[in-house]
Amino acid sequence: MVLENYVILETGVPARLHFTDHVTQRRTTTDPLTGQPTTRNVLVFDVDRLDGREVFAKYSIMAEKHAGQFGPYLPDKSYRGYDFLITKTGEGFRTSWSLQVIPKA
Amino acid sequence: MARKTRQVETRLIAEYLKERYPEFTFIMKQPLGAVSEELMKEEGYERAIKVMRPFRPEVDAVVILPANLLIIEAKVWSVVNGLAKLPLYKSLVPVTPELKQYMPRNVMMQLVVGWTNPNLEIMARAMDVEVKVYRPEWLEEVVEGMHKYWTSEYQAERQAKIRMREYFGVE
Repeated sequence: MVLENYVILETGVPARLHFTDHVTQRRTTTDPLTGQPTTRNVLVFDVDRLDGREVFAKYSIMAEKHAGQFGPYLPDKSYRGYDFLITKTGEGFRTSWSLQVIPKA
Repeated sequence: MARKTRQVETRLIAEYLKERYPEFTFIMKQPLGAVSEELMKEEGYERAIKVMRPFRPEVDAVVILPANLLIIEAKVWSVVNGLAKLPLYKSLVPVTPELKQYMPRNVMMQLVVGWTNPNLEIMARAMDVEVKVYRPEWLEEVVEGMHKYWTSEYQAERQAKIRMREYFGVE
């Protein structure tokens, strides 16, 4: 098992993740533009597989448009039945996430 | 002025795909189009994809069906824009490197909307696009709000609200 606390996506490099559980948290962060503290809702998944390897890690999502892609899978935790291949593209406000949803065989 | 946005179309497509195609692999927000082979040779596949990203449009979803690739645009507001994009996006599918592994397949087009009208259906038929109406309960509220937006009563109410905000220096 590889011990990685957080999965950090590299721009343009796809990562295949499998989630086992999730929580939504209120988190206070520092706004990178204003330097002021700001409170945000964060969706955090527990990750048990990353690119085919066993891991014990978290995948944290702050962007509403990315979190929204997982919306239908949250109430019944049906994300457990899928692998997600996520590719982050662009930077800053132009960041986009291509999400491939792969049913587990 | 700070403005709260709602990711309505992201929610619409994510729910639609889960409900209609749960047993198939699908991709949300897939960039389309060619990536220069010269650039791939010089910089490598991943770097070339990254460099080309701003020049490649993004389709809302691609569903990998056994014999077909289904490209989907989901629209709540600019439905004709969604319809017009689809045939252009279809032309890019055969040259998209990320989709090469799924070819050859027939490419089909689908427009997912909250509501339809006879003219939209005529235009869609002419472009070989299938229109699917998907209207979950929560979308009713959004659509109703949009229709109300154009009424003179709503506009008068909105103007009064804006005047009050300005008066009190709110936002």
